Amino acid sequence: MKNISKHALTLTLALGTTLAGAAYTGPKVQLNYLHGFTGPDRPVMEKLISQFNATHPNIEVKAQAQPWGTTWQQLGPLVASGRAPDVVAINEDQITGFAARGALTPLTAAELKSANANTANFFKPLAQTSMYKNVTYGLPLQSSALAMYYNKDLLKKAGVSGVPKNQADFIKAAQACTTDKAGKHPTEAGFDAKNLVTWGAGMPTPWMGGSLAYSVLRQYGGDLVDKQQNADFNSAAANQALQFLVDWIGKYQFSPANATEASEITAFRQGKTCFNFNGVWMLDQYNGQEGLNFGIAPLPKFGSQDAAWGGSSHLTLPKQRANYDKNKRAAALEFISWMTQPAQNLTWTSTGSLPTSQAIAKDKSFDNSKISDLFDALPTVYATSGYPWVAQVRGAWDAAVEAAILGKKTVKQALADGQTEANKQIAQARQSIR
Amino acid sequence: MSDQNPLVPYLYLLPHAIFFLVFTVYPIALGVWISVHRWDPLADTQPYVGSEFYRNLFLDTPQRDFFWRTLVNTLLFTVISVPLLVITALSLAQLLYRPVLFRAMFRSIFFMPGILSVSVMGILWKWLFDNQSGLVNVILQMMGRPTIPFLTTDGWAWVPVTLGTVWWTIGFNMTLYLAAMGNIPASLYEAAELDGAGGWHKFRYITLPLLQSTTLFVVVTTVLASLQLFGQTQVITGGGPARATQSVIQYITEEAFGNNQFSSATAMSFVFGAIMLIFTAIQFRTMARDAGGPR
Repeated sequence: MKNISKHALTLTLALGTTLAGAAYTGPKVQLNYLHGFTGPDRPVMEKLISQFNATHPNIEVKAQAQPWGTTWQQLGPLVASGRAPDVVAINEDQITGFAARGALTPLTAAELKSANANTANFFKPLAQTSMYKNVTYGLPLQSSALAMYYNKDLLKKAGVSGVPKNQADFIKAAQACTTDKAGKHPTEAGFDAKNLVTWGAGMPTPWMGGSLAYSVLRQYGGDLVDKQQNADFNSAAANQALQFLVDWIGKYQFSPANATEASEITAFRQGKTCFNFNGVWMLDQYNGQEGLNFGIAPLPKFGSQDAAWGGSSHLTLPKQRANYDKNKRAAALEFISWMTQPAQNLTWTSTGSLPTSQAIAKDKSFDNSKISDLFDALPTVYATSGYPWVAQVRGAWDAAVEAAILGKKTVKQALADGQTEANKQIAQARQSIR
Repeated sequence: MSDQNPLVPYLYLLPHAIFFLVFTVYPIALGVWISVHRWDPLADTQPYVGSEFYRNLFLDTPQRDFFWRTLVNTLLFTVISVPLLVITALSLAQLLYRPVLFRAMFRSIFFMPGILSVSVMGILWKWLFDNQSGLVNVILQMMGRPTIPFLTTDGWAWVPVTLGTVWWTIGFNMTLYLAAMGNIPASLYEAAELDGAGGWHKFRYITLPLLQSTTLFVVVTTVLASLQLFGQTQVITGGGPARATQSVIQYITEEAFGNNQFSSATAMSFVFGAIMLIFTAIQFRTMARDAGGPR
């Protein structure tokens, strides 16, 4: 079975490259491409662009790398003044906002077909991230997700065999990992929760806590917004999800109070905590930690279904001035299609990105890689996207999660206040966003 | 063209006037226009809304809740940090003006943090004060004391922000004081010594009064810099916990570039700008009078 998959992949890669190369036959054009891959991923991006330019003699892509934040600030004025780049990479939390404000152009079914791009080839939630009101505005280039890192040695020492896959197993394992100065566990009388030597997993605030809470919310079947795109997190699902996370500290006692993302990373590197919830981007750092014997796994099923928060970058075509060269648009489509094909995505995964399609996830190069342990969960990775006011909703959600985790408010009160705040902001945003 | 030509002074002023009009007057005028319209560079229409975004600061809106709260945070930081930044700088200058051992080395050490970017400074102080693994808490643990969750506790979160700012910027004020001290004639101190004045009296009746114009400059620039607090809280606390250390400029930035509410952010900028102007005017009125300088 595996061999068949490999052959199928090789064929797909070859076919994809050939077809993509044949799509644009117009006169030579130059494309400006703006992206935010300014870190160690920049050389990989530049290598791919060179490959594209070498295999597409009638298209020359000139790339400009700048910090993401700068792009979000500049894109609006650039589009408004008719000086938008031909192609822009946009992240999951921004793409719907730009689409709704009219900064991006829809990718029609006919255009996608002519450029040999099929959104069905990507993981479904990932492809949906760049959709707004059932229209596609981009193709996914990069994918990341929240994952569960676990310390193999510490788990073994705690007598835990196997990586927990559901809530009950996770609580049991996390409590077994937690010891105070006297060597007692949370399940024992006299346990001192204020003096932990090792612990199960810290529940951090604010952004990472919000991302973890969003994952658990999706697992309980809830979401941050309803179908009308109003905030909808004062729900039974959100109450259950957030209460479970608050209970890590008070009820189950396997998390220290006042954990931060940074303190949990340090604790995991020092071998003090069994589990650490963070993005796949931490893999390199943990791999470089001497003596840390760890694995990576999808989030356990804390609720009724599998789900995890995910981030992504999508290649989009901004709105251009009225007399924009049609050849440029065809060439830009060709470029974004080529860049998101399996062959290129495989190269791109060397930056730490997850595969964007099942075809790549099956590649043999991942056979001995820790990261492939996550691949089964990729169809259930969801972004906070699909509505134009992600910042307003995420801000209020993160604040609600923080208030509950730090014990400043009850779960019920925190969610009610957060939803009220988010909806006030959405009402204001609706006045300028269609 | 002779010097008698009445146009001459205006022509001399013209180069500056062009820059002044393009980079100061025009942006302010555009800002006023944006603040009374619902403005988005991408929108087809920019409807006039009058004082809506100013009124929002007094009605039941998130803007009212967060603007005034972050303004109070900013004022609190200013009230705490300015005395530290002025008095400590003056004390250090007083110590390092005298011919003490390794004087040049100490001057460099105090000045050097100022050359770091706010991100580097912020990350450093965040590490130092991290809740579990920060050096400060490690030391507290070694001493058998309970750790302090600096980054997630209201009040405590200001400690790394304020101490970090003092460490980062103290050298600049110290250098200004050192330069000003160099301009005080030694004869004044010699005369005071002949009259039997001690160290404290010389500082109180010679050094301090003659540094008054420098102090006015140091206080005004430090107050303005403190009111513009942004990077330190952005990097060290992220404005948290629960906006407890979020500065007003941080919130205005969030409103503009996070929420895409550009007109609302502009209106808040003008209100905040007016508050800064009032503060500066009060300082000039109270301190310039004492300094004996022109009003």
